Amino acid sequence: MSSQISTGTPPASSQSPTVASPPAAVQDPTTNLSTSERVVLEYLRARGHGAAEKAFLEELETGSPDDKGKQPETIGAQDLVKSLAVFAEKPSRPGENILNESSNVLQQLNSMPNPPNIQSLIASIGSVGAEELLSLDPTDKQEGYRELEAWVDGSLDMYRPEFRPILFPIFCHFYLDLIQHGYKDAALRFFSAYSPSLSTSHTATLHHLSTLLLPAHVQNDELAQRFRNEKYAIRMSRSGFGLLVGWLTEGVGGEASGSGDGFTGERGKRGRAAVMRVVNNHLRFDVTSTNPTAVSPHAWEESTGLFSSLIPQPNASLKTLTNPHVFNASKGDLKLGPAPISEELRAEAERVLREQAMVDRDPTTPFDIQVNRPMPGPGMIAPTEADMLPRPSTFKTIDVEREVNAVRDARKRIRLEPTVLANVDADSPQAAALRARALPSICAYTLHDVAEGSPCCTFSQDTSLMAAGFAESYIRLWNLKGERLKGLRSDFSSSSVKDPASLQKIREKKGTTTRKLIGHSGPVYSVAFDPLSGSAAPPKYLLSASADATTRLWSMDTLTNVVAFRGHENPIWDVKWSPMGIYFATASRDRTARLWSTDRTSCLRVYAGHLSDVDCVQFHPNSLYLATGSSDWTARLWDVQRGSCVRVFIGHQGAVGSLALSPDGRYLATAGEDLAINLWDIGSGKRVKKMTGHTASIYSLSFSAESSMLVSGGADWTVRCWDVKSAGGLRAKPRENGVIENGIRGYGEDENSETVDLLATFPTKRTPITNVQFTPRNLCLVGGVYQSTESR
Amino acid sequence: MSSQHPPAMSKPKTRSSQGSHTGIYKPDAVKDTADSLSIPISDSVASALASDVEYRIHQVIEEAGRFMRHGRRTTMTTSDIDQALRVLNIEPLYGHSSHNPPTFRRALPFPQMPSAGPVYFVEDEEIDFDRVLREEKIALPKGVSWTAHWLAVEGVQPLIPENPPAIPREQDGEPGMNGMTGAGPHLNGVGAKKSVASQQQQQLVKQVLSRELQLYYARLTSSLLPPSADTTKRNAALASLRNDAGLQALLPYLVRWVGEGVVNALGEGSQSESGGKVLEVLMDVISAILENHTLFVEPYLHQILPPILSTLLYSSLPPSHAALLRTSAAQTLSRLLTQHSTTYPSLSPRIMKTLLLALVSPGKGAGTREGAIRGLVGVGKEAVRKGLVESGGAKVVGSECERGVGEGLETAVLDALRSLQPQVESDMSDSLDQSNEADANVYNHLRDVLGDYFAERVSTDAAWARELANIPIS
Repeated sequence: MSSQISTGTPPASSQSPTVASPPAAVQDPTTNLSTSERVVLEYLRARGHGAAEKAFLEELETGSPDDKGKQPETIGAQDLVKSLAVFAEKPSRPGENILNESSNVLQQLNSMPNPPNIQSLIASIGSVGAEELLSLDPTDKQEGYRELEAWVDGSLDMYRPEFRPILFPIFCHFYLDLIQHGYKDAALRFFSAYSPSLSTSHTATLHHLSTLLLPAHVQNDELAQRFRNEKYAIRMSRSGFGLLVGWLTEGVGGEASGSGDGFTGERGKRGRAAVMRVVNNHLRFDVTSTNPTAVSPHAWEESTGLFSSLIPQPNASLKTLTNPHVFNASKGDLKLGPAPISEELRAEAERVLREQAMVDRDPTTPFDIQVNRPMPGPGMIAPTEADMLPRPSTFKTIDVEREVNAVRDARKRIRLEPTVLANVDADSPQAAALRARALPSICAYTLHDVAEGSPCCTFSQDTSLMAAGFAESYIRLWNLKGERLKGLRSDFSSSSVKDPASLQKIREKKGTTTRKLIGHSGPVYSVAFDPLSGSAAPPKYLLSASADATTRLWSMDTLTNVVAFRGHENPIWDVKWSPMGIYFATASRDRTARLWSTDRTSCLRVYAGHLSDVDCVQFHPNSLYLATGSSDWTARLWDVQRGSCVRVFIGHQGAVGSLALSPDGRYLATAGEDLAINLWDIGSGKRVKKMTGHTASIYSLSFSAESSMLVSGGADWTVRCWDVKSAGGLRAKPRENGVIENGIRGYGEDENSETVDLLATFPTKRTPITNVQFTPRNLCLVGGVYQSTESR
Repeated sequence: MSSQHPPAMSKPKTRSSQGSHTGIYKPDAVKDTADSLSIPISDSVASALASDVEYRIHQVIEEAGRFMRHGRRTTMTTSDIDQALRVLNIEPLYGHSSHNPPTFRRALPFPQMPSAGPVYFVEDEEIDFDRVLREEKIALPKGVSWTAHWLAVEGVQPLIPENPPAIPREQDGEPGMNGMTGAGPHLNGVGAKKSVASQQQQQLVKQVLSRELQLYYARLTSSLLPPSADTTKRNAALASLRNDAGLQALLPYLVRWVGEGVVNALGEGSQSESGGKVLEVLMDVISAILENHTLFVEPYLHQILPPILSTLLYSSLPPSHAALLRTSAAQTLSRLLTQHSTTYPSLSPRIMKTLLLALVSPGKGAGTREGAIRGLVGVGKEAVRKGLVESGGAKVVGSECERGVGEGLETAVLDALRSLQPQVESDMSDSLDQSNEADANVYNHLRDVLGDYFAERVSTDAAWARELANIPIS
């Protein structure tokens, strides 16, 4: 529910209520001109505003006597206002600005015995000037912000977490206003005075704003324009909102002790008017009926911010959607169940499994393929064959092998049950045994002697190959089993190839366990092995994405580049295969994600809607949906076929750098530059929980095969294991003297502490972890580049 | 651009400290540039331009930050800036590679213009091509390689060199300790741990005796040695030393005290009665220490052995105590060897060597020889055989006995040889029969190894003689 402050009336009319004279009174100018001049001059002199007085006199002198007939209108209406405005720009006596008292002036002038033409002059000042002047006055904003801050800090503990988020948008708007009107010095003073007290979670935005110094910057900067054109959403309880309205209109409540005459004075009123203007024009309040203390500490992240452009707007309805949950709900249910498997393939795989069971003389092993396939959970709709992306109607041997091996993997999988650790004391004797049941074994692959850095690495599903992309534009391939990599030669006649044996003949004679793949002309940001052969055989293809705006497909048979996919205009940050192969998706700096298939060089779909770089991309396990994370701080879920956005996930306070979808298709985990990992329920689009503990950027996320555990790796040289199912939340703080500290840390504070669902932290020596992934049997592989101490 | 004004590259930390100055990029810099192109510009224009330049630099840096993030780095490099310029459609800056990041040097401050602040410039090294070409030291960098190790095995991080040392639990659970942002939290953890370990070591070294132990030590030493002649007190002290636990901290002091006591007793009043008494007590102390199961003596063996061996081998012990002292020293030695020779396999050979030297080498006193023999008995049967029979110790002693040095020596030898006597049920023992050919052979053999003097004495017992001559009993 959203509402505007209806009680807020334009400040000008509220401050000059007496001005009601009709403009018809401007008919007899000449007679009383001197009187009006004298009144103004006398007033200016009395108040000691020499400069303004001089300006006024000059205005009068330049006007020739014969012009006097029309002078009153021109001077009175515009020039006087202008000269006052000029005066306002350089306050000779800070703190006692003429504009500060402009309403006083009006009142005093009103109270004098005035002839009607003066009244008309005042009227013109009142209607034309006052509001303009007010919005131009730099000190007004300082004052207004100072009072708002004092009011928020002086409010009851219960309401303070609700009120604190107001400060940030108002600060931003004031700063932008000041810059816009050319008060650079005042803006910088304002910034340095008040930015330190704002929440640390806004540091990045604040820094960005601080780089805007000229009106032209504000005009051109995207973030500034978003602040200008969109409404900043803030959630507030009904009672809190009432208090805010009360303060804005009457200046009551929440006075900090020792703040002088408080907010009731004229200046306070004018400061509040400035705040009010921002509140009316740029903020939108979601007034909830919930108790302010009942809201979870991080709830503000989901409900505070510039939303209207983050949320895709349906074309048909005129009403703009401003609540992500409303949007998510409007998109209906998603088909999150596992992808269907064709009947023939299933039958064939079962036949093979049965045969193997006979050979192994172990008829008890379940060979029913369905047993080991993930079942759609309660409330999840499984897609049908008709929903799927087009794929070949017939299956190949490798498909059968893949399915057979998937069953075998499921049988031999290490079961990870982090829930057993939930209520166990870490020091108790059985804890060690339980840890072994709950936590994975992690094998770390460390790259040494990397000159300029390796932005990515990946392992094939059968763990036979590792590929790493390097900043020096090449990809290196390693065989982890120590076998030689032998490509097919290119100098052979196709007629000589008849059977697999002759194909082996045309392989290279020599080979090493590593191979350099050269083709890109910029840093390689992502590599991915094709999933078609699963864990049954080595992959056939490798995809790589680079800063040169191309995605390249490499054949693992020939060890050469076979296709370059062009279409993106900017560096490509990420590339991922669809779980069924054939299709893949890329994420680029050009703010789009695209869908491709390996047999076409142009893209099939463009997913546009993010407001900034698309940093990461990942398919849903059933290939129906595509999840993207972006530098606009959101993650989105797209319908792959229709190309429309079906979910938006708002809550991160920084760019979303990596994401992972759980194999059961239920959860999305995103990691942001705010060093938090958010877990989302895809179906409802709501955040399940926020997991914190990392101390530097998180580079990679991966779910275990049972979706019960999440593993993350990042720039803080650690690998961390998280319990997906537990409730999470911050560790209960020791309470001092029985005081519950819950209230204050609600907004942007306490960001770095670990949540209770952090099961284990495994530090490496000096290796930022660039890739984390689980094998089908739940062994965790991590990769990273060792940073030798002497280099940078 | 970036090379001329490096402060812009760093984050605007200096903003607040610069007070009235707005922004980082100074209008003066714009004016300087304009002057160099001889374009006159006004202050306000320069200021506006400076603000704009600053904004553009920030734009580039913000863009470069994305490249840094996607490059999985935490340090921005010149290549990031290049990439950023490229996507912003600006010509990249040439000549900056991330292989050798430029080093900025701070120029000496200008005294005439203190307001200018610090000035930085890029160090531009001059390369002499002749020299570079001559030296030909261009080595290819090592290729990228990988290693694999277990970061965790079933949730437990193995303590292998590839993994960082474990961080103590308390620290692990305390988010404040390693909750700092940026890279390198574990380094701090490791450092803290190391310092703790070294602290513990230092504490071990500096460990001070508690007041109680100091008192105990003073009482113990005073009651053991004369002038205190109270035997009950002395026995009580020895019993305490033999049985009490918790004396480990005192052990180094006690061992040193014994060592010094023995040296003093032997050096000064060796011939006197009191010296003998002192030595007796000290031997008792050593055996008491060895008997105490709660003491960990092994580290101090090298300090305990010299007093024992000195007492054993000293030539001129007070005659009244000589035999007793040597016997008790030999017994102590025996106890020590049985206790510790298993952990120190080299212990008995080394002692053997010392004893043999004392036994065989010419010019030693009878006391020394006797002590050595008693020591050999203490070491064991094999030592006696080796020392007296195989190394010809008996021959040497026998020739000295023939000269009539002392009967103590003779009894000692015979005692030692008797330890080799086979256990025979019957008390009756027949002597070697010279007429018997076999017995004659034995006797001749005995004379060869033991010398005439002892061969004669041993020959009274045929079984003994055969055993000594290493001929099985017929």
